[in-house]
Amino acid sequence: MAKLTSTRTTPGLAVALVAVVVLAVALHGYGLAEASLRASSEQLTFLMGWGAVIGNLFAGLAGALSFTAEIRYGTIRPTLMATPRRGRVVAAKALAAAGAGLAFGLLGTAAAVGAGRLALGARGVDAAVGAGQYAQFLAGGALAGALWAVVGLGIGAVVRAQAPTVVAMTAWVLFVEAILVDSAPGLGRLAPGALGQALAGLRPDSLAAPALGGLLLGAYAAASLAAGALATRRRDFA
Amino acid sequence: MGVTEPPPAGDAAAVRGLTKRYGDQVAVDNVTFSLRPGTVTGLLGPNGAGKTTTLRVLLGLAEPTAGEALVHGRRYADLDEPWRRVGAVLESGDFHPGRSGRDHLRVLALAAGLAPGRVEEVLALVGLAAAGARRVRGYSLGMRQRLGLAAALLGDPGLLVLDEPANGLDPAGVRWLRSLLRGFAARGGAVLVSSHVLAEVAQSVDRVVVIDGGRVVADTPVAALGGRSLEDVYLELTASARS
Repeated sequence: MAKLTSTRTTPGLAVALVAVVVLAVALHGYGLAEASLRASSEQLTFLMGWGAVIGNLFAGLAGALSFTAEIRYGTIRPTLMATPRRGRVVAAKALAAAGAGLAFGLLGTAAAVGAGRLALGARGVDAAVGAGQYAQFLAGGALAGALWAVVGLGIGAVVRAQAPTVVAMTAWVLFVEAILVDSAPGLGRLAPGALGQALAGLRPDSLAAPALGGLLLGAYAAASLAAGALATRRRDFA
Repeated sequence: MGVTEPPPAGDAAAVRGLTKRYGDQVAVDNVTFSLRPGTVTGLLGPNGAGKTTTLRVLLGLAEPTAGEALVHGRRYADLDEPWRRVGAVLESGDFHPGRSGRDHLRVLALAAGLAPGRVEEVLALVGLAAAGARRVRGYSLGMRQRLGLAAALLGDPGLLVLDEPANGLDPAGVRWLRSLLRGFAARGGAVLVSSHVLAEVAQSVDRVVVIDGGRVVADTPVAALGGRSLEDVYLELTASARS
């Protein structure tokens, strides 16, 4: 954890996260027709849902960066010299990443709720989202952030190069998955971004049930972490 | 900064029959040498001779293709508390530019299970106490070398492994480094210094291991050079190995 708090990257990511979420919510708050903003599930999905989507992405990026930044700056070498058992290094990173991802997920959804309510007020639409939905949105968003951070860590440990990792993950969440969900919904609902949104209670009619979403996203995290640990144990750090 | 326990009997480190291949490229070819307590050994060779690869295998960062590299009789990865056994400064620097020098050492002390109080001690030891709060991106090359040395000394190890440690040091810094290494060896520590700059090495090492094209072409005490300059011997050896 000291690694995450001793540089400016983590607070920088947090500020960027809040800014992007507020922007996305505000744009959709003004752009969407009033008719599609009345129901609580519409408000949650089309407006505030961006907090979960972007929160997940940033949590995943934070997880990936916790490995790729060590490759980029070479600090992975002293890290491994201090802890030659590489499995322990990856496990410790997974714990720290999950903690940061939890915070990012919560921050993203909370910012979206705040910005979303402001936008609805400005449009003169009543906020219809209930307390239970908010609670699930925040808690599910936080949990999804934690799992996404572990997924990202595994990807970072396998790919290693920072820029391709960041670009690929961002493109996946914002473009590939959106296309997949539209063109092949049966497959798209099982993609990690959609599972994270399911966990936060978005689109309950088309996405997986939250519990199933959490379970499957957990499976993604476990698989990604296993691949990352294997790659870290096998390969040289030259 | 003395060695806290009596130096273990035998070699501080031993490299035996070490070979490292990257695809078809042979970086290190059947290299054998050992490091004894109380001596400073220079690992010399032209750029690309295999010095850094040898050090990385010794430090457990890369797997040998054949042979072995042992520290106190064990593979680096099998050492308990390796940071208390071996201190290393790699040429690549390996700092996060956005982290302060002090935080860099704190992270390492935490990871290595060392007392946090050591951080201030080693910062003072290398003359960076006043610069500890600054981010590494603002450090000169010489300051980065000093920070690397501070990190290597954190665990009060019995073996120092330094890759091109004099790069970026001014003449006063080189002299300071030399006396630090001599003092370290005088207290029973073993030092391995890799370098392609002979002048800085000639005055501070007891023994030289010269490698060229991945192979050891000389392994001799400096005293046994019989008055010939290290430069003459080195150039002769690395030239004849190539022809």
